[in-house]
Amino acid sequence: MEVRRPTIEDWDNPGDLVTINIGPSHPAMHGTLRVIAQTDGETIVSAEPEIGYLHRGVEKLGEHLTYHQFIPITDRLNYCSAIANNVSYEMAVEKLMGIKVPEKAQVIRMIMMELARIADHIVCIGILGVDLGAFTPFFYLFIQREEIYEIFEWYNGARLTNTFGRIGGVEADLPEDFEERWRKLLPNLKKAIDETDKLLTHNRIWMDRTIGVTAFSPEDALSWGFTGPCLRACGVKRDLRKDEPYCFYDQVDFEIPVGKHGDVFDRYIVRMIEMEESIKIIDQAIKIYKEFPPDAPLMAKVPKIIKPPVGEVYSAIEAPNGELGFWIKSDGSDKPYRIKIRPPCYMVYQAFPELVQGEMIADLIACLSSLNIIAGELDR
Amino acid sequence: MNWVIAIIKVVFIWTWCLLWATVMTWAERRGSAMIQDRLGPNRAGPFGLFQPIADGIKLFTKEEFRPKTARKILFNLGPILFAIPAFSAYAVIPFGDKIVIGGKEILLQVADVNIGFLYVLAIGALAVYGIVVGGWGSNNKYSILGGLRSTAQLISYEVPWGLALLAAVFVYGTFDLRQIALEQTGTFLGFLPNWGVFKQPLGFLIFTVAAYAEANRVPFDLPEAESEIVAGYHTEYGGMRLGLYLFGEYVNLYTLSALCVTLYFGAWNLPYIDMSKFLGPISYGIASFVVFWLKVMVFLLSFIWVRWTVPRFRYDQVMRLGWKTLIPLALFNLLITALFIQLTV
Amino acid sequence: MAKPVVKKKYTLTERVYLIEIIKGLGLTFKHFVFNVKASFRPGPHTVPTCWQYPEDRREIAPIFRGAHMLMLDDQGRIKCVGCGMCAKACPAQCITVKRGKVAEGEESKYVGKTYPEEFVVDLTRCIFCGFCEEACPKGAIVLGPEYELAQYTREECQLTKEGLLANYYKAKEEGKLKPPKKPVPVAASAEPVAKKAAAAKKAAPKKVEAQGAEAKGDAKEAKAKEAEAKKAEKEQKSEG
Repeated sequence: MEVRRPTIEDWDNPGDLVTINIGPSHPAMHGTLRVIAQTDGETIVSAEPEIGYLHRGVEKLGEHLTYHQFIPITDRLNYCSAIANNVSYEMAVEKLMGIKVPEKAQVIRMIMMELARIADHIVCIGILGVDLGAFTPFFYLFIQREEIYEIFEWYNGARLTNTFGRIGGVEADLPEDFEERWRKLLPNLKKAIDETDKLLTHNRIWMDRTIGVTAFSPEDALSWGFTGPCLRACGVKRDLRKDEPYCFYDQVDFEIPVGKHGDVFDRYIVRMIEMEESIKIIDQAIKIYKEFPPDAPLMAKVPKIIKPPVGEVYSAIEAPNGELGFWIKSDGSDKPYRIKIRPPCYMVYQAFPELVQGEMIADLIACLSSLNIIAGELDR
Repeated sequence: MNWVIAIIKVVFIWTWCLLWATVMTWAERRGSAMIQDRLGPNRAGPFGLFQPIADGIKLFTKEEFRPKTARKILFNLGPILFAIPAFSAYAVIPFGDKIVIGGKEILLQVADVNIGFLYVLAIGALAVYGIVVGGWGSNNKYSILGGLRSTAQLISYEVPWGLALLAAVFVYGTFDLRQIALEQTGTFLGFLPNWGVFKQPLGFLIFTVAAYAEANRVPFDLPEAESEIVAGYHTEYGGMRLGLYLFGEYVNLYTLSALCVTLYFGAWNLPYIDMSKFLGPISYGIASFVVFWLKVMVFLLSFIWVRWTVPRFRYDQVMRLGWKTLIPLALFNLLITALFIQLTV
Repeated sequence: MAKPVVKKKYTLTERVYLIEIIKGLGLTFKHFVFNVKASFRPGPHTVPTCWQYPEDRREIAPIFRGAHMLMLDDQGRIKCVGCGMCAKACPAQCITVKRGKVAEGEESKYVGKTYPEEFVVDLTRCIFCGFCEEACPKGAIVLGPEYELAQYTREECQLTKEGLLANYYKAKEEGKLKPPKKPVPVAASAEPVAKKAAAAKKAAPKKVEAQGAEAKGDAKEAKAKEAEAKKAEKEQKSEG
């Protein structure tokens, strides 16, 4: 008989618990997340997330780049919806400088942000399906995401890292065939959402896997600093688009979907409905857009070298994942003194150990996917 | 002379299973692609049909890697233990009626034993050893988890599976699979084909669900749940060892489908038509083989179809479904069948 | 901190697994039939999404941001004057420009009094944001349609002047040069800087102001460069 060789777990594992190292290289860990889980059989006793595998020093980078040069860096935060990051940052700088963005540019920003929101939710729901074993909806949705990226590409030449907008406006008008493309995409997009709904929502296997899994109370969610779909799934009606409207969100008509239990199913449903609301917003925004003359200004008059006055500013928008805020301190030079990014994922991921405790390994994966943790945004 | 025929039959059915296992890997990929609005592998040969060959060459020529901490013997034994039962289970299942060549009647079945049924059950239960031994021998936590999940799943689903089969045995009154196939000629209740599925609808349902679980297919693919435990019991395997696991799985599918066809779908019998009356002895043998094979293919493809439609169960939900739903249902089915037989006989 | 307990309520059709699963099977079967039919259709992409990449290529946007190219004017002269604005605007610092003075007697070969003696774009650093294109006062550097950028060595990833020009010739041959960009309409007057911000400036500590002064110095340099670029432009005009 062979003598069992002691492994490293023998020292730091006193009880009967098994330490399972999930990630950073694991099919379901969304890039580079790592969770060290202590399990009793399949039940998770404790889960300790470890972050920082995708840390690129984005905030520090900002201190060495001019205000304009930082825009492409924000693309790399939540790369699923780069446009929302760009706009959030630009709005912070504009607030700092007191620039009023021309209205047409605001509408364009709004349309693009909602497209980005749909793209982001598509990724989240698709991946959630894949992680729970339903592969097919992923493809139905991703095909439509590809079409959305096509729209982005025809707007300014990039698909994923858009570098959308400039401080004080946007860099280009919507292309002439924009509306045509959107009209062509719309029925397919709706069909894809509908098919995903048909394949998943009422399927008992799906319901068993999601309903009641990692439920969270609204009080806990608020005290952990949840924002976005994860908070709304818990039953708190908080959406910056309605509560602190920017762009033209106060002039369009849309609903905020709210869940009840904050479980995986609610997060999934909230995202599904939000996609449909986004479609509504885009339709209305296109109507507003058409009211502007073609030569309406797209850029405010901004000095070539941006030197905001000394001061600090915090500005946040409702990014697809939640409140994405930029805090910028300026010392009057052409480079920010300090940039602090408030990513929605970071706050949500903090509650992860509490969310998954007592659930099973399969639920940990489902929970992680439904929170939509994006490593780029989390680690920055 | 008999043993020559036996060897020919063994070799034939062995290669036949292997051939369809390889074709299944192609069908799985192309079929899933077609379901998911993709194209799938279409480069190797016409329609990508040579893709399995390319995969096979790749698997054969890859390095046989073994992790340093793995148990050498168990690690090597696992795939073999998995593949042998998979390949040997088909021995008692017929693949056609009979063929008469030169006045000699040849049964299209490797071994016509009168307890064929029990043999399939016993061999089917053996497959779990391959998974557990492989999972344990890999000395990897994901592998062990996969192995344990598989053990629990296979053992719990063996019960409803066996009970469903038992109900079928009640109906046919024999353990002999060939005899069962022969009994499914003619009509049932005057208008339906005399197939097991019409006599045992509930039994068929339970059998199918349990077969999916036995074959580790979605929605019961927990032992190799990719997104949860990487690849389950074959996480550490590569090269031909992994190939044995994959081939074994598809051969298992073929066997299960063949069993299902034999028991519930009239084996080689066509509904309302008796082929033996108007076909010559040789052509009848071939026709019965083809009919049987086509029926099996339908089931094989349905395995693929379901896989790309539904999500995966969770471990405890699988157990709950097995113990709390399927076993009571199977027992109920058994009771009803027994009562019916008692009352009618 | 107790987790809320969720009671699962299922309707009958949901409780019985099979009905929804059969509906789903129907849906996937519809897709299957459609796609099998579509895959026999002639044309570049048989099923809605799949492009057989090396053979069939997706149409890319005319303004696609791919590998850089250096533009030539009508007389076949490099438009670039080597001012270095692109290098200054680049967030990834991937552009190196070395300015050379045009020797006497060779003025007709160049557009301005200066020319880029060396122009290297490090594609391993580039993030394809397109800022260089926007910063260029001459419209000389442009992100082209080339997107197959994989190379075997690092050296090959350094786009030198020859490489940049080769990209230009290739794009021109294929007719993929960018259409001229529409000028972005700018609002008439700059909005006044918010008073609050101005007040904050006064209250800021001295140290920050000192840093600000330093930064101002930088800005002056930048302004000087900008002026230079403008000068070069003017010169070119006068020459023209």
